[in-house]
Amino acid sequence: MSDDGLPNDAKGIKLMIHALIDGELDAAAALALERRIAADPALAAEHARIVALRAAVTRLPRPDVSDAFRARIAALGATATAQPAQDEPERDELVEPRPGIPSARQDQPRGDQLRGTTRRDAQTRPSQTRALPRARRFGSFDWRAMAASIMISAVLASGATQWVMFNSASDGFAAAVASGHRRSLLAASPIDIVSSDRHTVKPWLDARIGVSPPAPDLAQDGFALIGGRVEVISGRPVPALVYRHREHLITLVAEPQQGGSTTAPEDLSSGGFSMVHWSDGAFSYWAISDMERPELDDFVARFRKAAV
Amino acid sequence: MAERFNEVVLPHLGDALALARWLTGNAADAEDVVQDACIKAHAGIAGYAGGNSRAWLLTIVRNTSYTWMSRNRPRSIMAVGDLGDLDDMAAAHGTSLPDEDGPEASLIAKADTAALEAAIAALPQPFRETLVLRDINGLSYREISAMLGVAMGTVMSRLARARNLLMSELGSAP
Repeated sequence: MSDDGLPNDAKGIKLMIHALIDGELDAAAALALERRIAADPALAAEHARIVALRAAVTRLPRPDVSDAFRARIAALGATATAQPAQDEPERDELVEPRPGIPSARQDQPRGDQLRGTTRRDAQTRPSQTRALPRARRFGSFDWRAMAASIMISAVLASGATQWVMFNSASDGFAAAVASGHRRSLLAASPIDIVSSDRHTVKPWLDARIGVSPPAPDLAQDGFALIGGRVEVISGRPVPALVYRHREHLITLVAEPQQGGSTTAPEDLSSGGFSMVHWSDGAFSYWAISDMERPELDDFVARFRKAAV
Repeated sequence: MAERFNEVVLPHLGDALALARWLTGNAADAEDVVQDACIKAHAGIAGYAGGNSRAWLLTIVRNTSYTWMSRNRPRSIMAVGDLGDLDDMAAAHGTSLPDEDGPEASLIAKADTAALEAAIAALPQPFRETLVLRDINGLSYREISAMLGVAMGTVMSRLARARNLLMSELGSAP
């Protein structure tokens, strides 16, 4: 019997080993459990078995998302928005062209909705936008006719923020900031240090990476500082502050500059995220959020004013 | 709205298909289920309030899978039995490890894909879905507990039991 806070029954300790491997234990419990495992060959064997099994399951081939399938789902978003369902949102109602609308007119709302390439494509193929027979299981809208253009919309609009940003002039840094922000939205918590108090956030960042950017609390302006985290970008740790505006999170990455110049805010938005970059000589800032651009501009203006 | 749908749903189609494939048992049905689920996701996109979009979509996929199966395969749902049986069944496995020697880790590591897939497919459904959500979809205990509407402790014991069943299955196979 040991006094390390862990369960002492075999079943309880086994559950803890699973939790350890799943990354669900806090540091103290993990440390105590690792000591137990090191001291007990039976636990060590169990640990090794679970690790091996997890690795094997993770290696299993995953189903391919075929281009056709992805296009079909992307079309769902585009088409259904163009033609809002009248009744309950069931399968056919959402994707069927509504009866009674002359086929020539069906192109217009779709083209508008899908913008650019899609519009051109849809208009050059009026004959194909006529509904196919109703027999197909998934309704009869003409996704084939639009598949090519929809694929383009889908690729640009979906997980392709990185792709777009890698190809823009602002290099991989913006892409890394964007992926960091996206990852933080998926993580259990978007912040490592939770605090609305900049006197807590700044020392925390300073203690970890020796850098501490201005962290004004803009709560009175509607942008509350909720904490910070450390991002690793281009192999270097950089501080990131997290602000909340209504239900939106804003990640503000501040890259230290040495003798840097001052630059005005520059718009790098793409792929559904708004992103603004500027420098004040001491730091180069990247603000990213899923808010609308004008709201992010408002944040940037208030931050710059407060950070002086 | 279309952009939000693309942002929230499209990045997780692979995970959605993987979950549906393991819940329904085959890849062709998985596409049908995920398509239905995406229609529901689209209709309900306004209800997505931020947070883990993968967990949000997978919750819809799971519900859609069971609706789909009750419509298309009522018998497979019946086969699950009630949770009382499940606990008895699991208890038998729960006590056999680790006091008794389990299979060597190296034996598990060498298991071939087909054997492992067959073993997962043979798991009782509550164990299978917990294992898939954790080890294939990568959700946290807390997210799984919220999705299944069961306590964290239940998630942990189902996961441990699922893994024990797989380990003894793979360990006993030559």
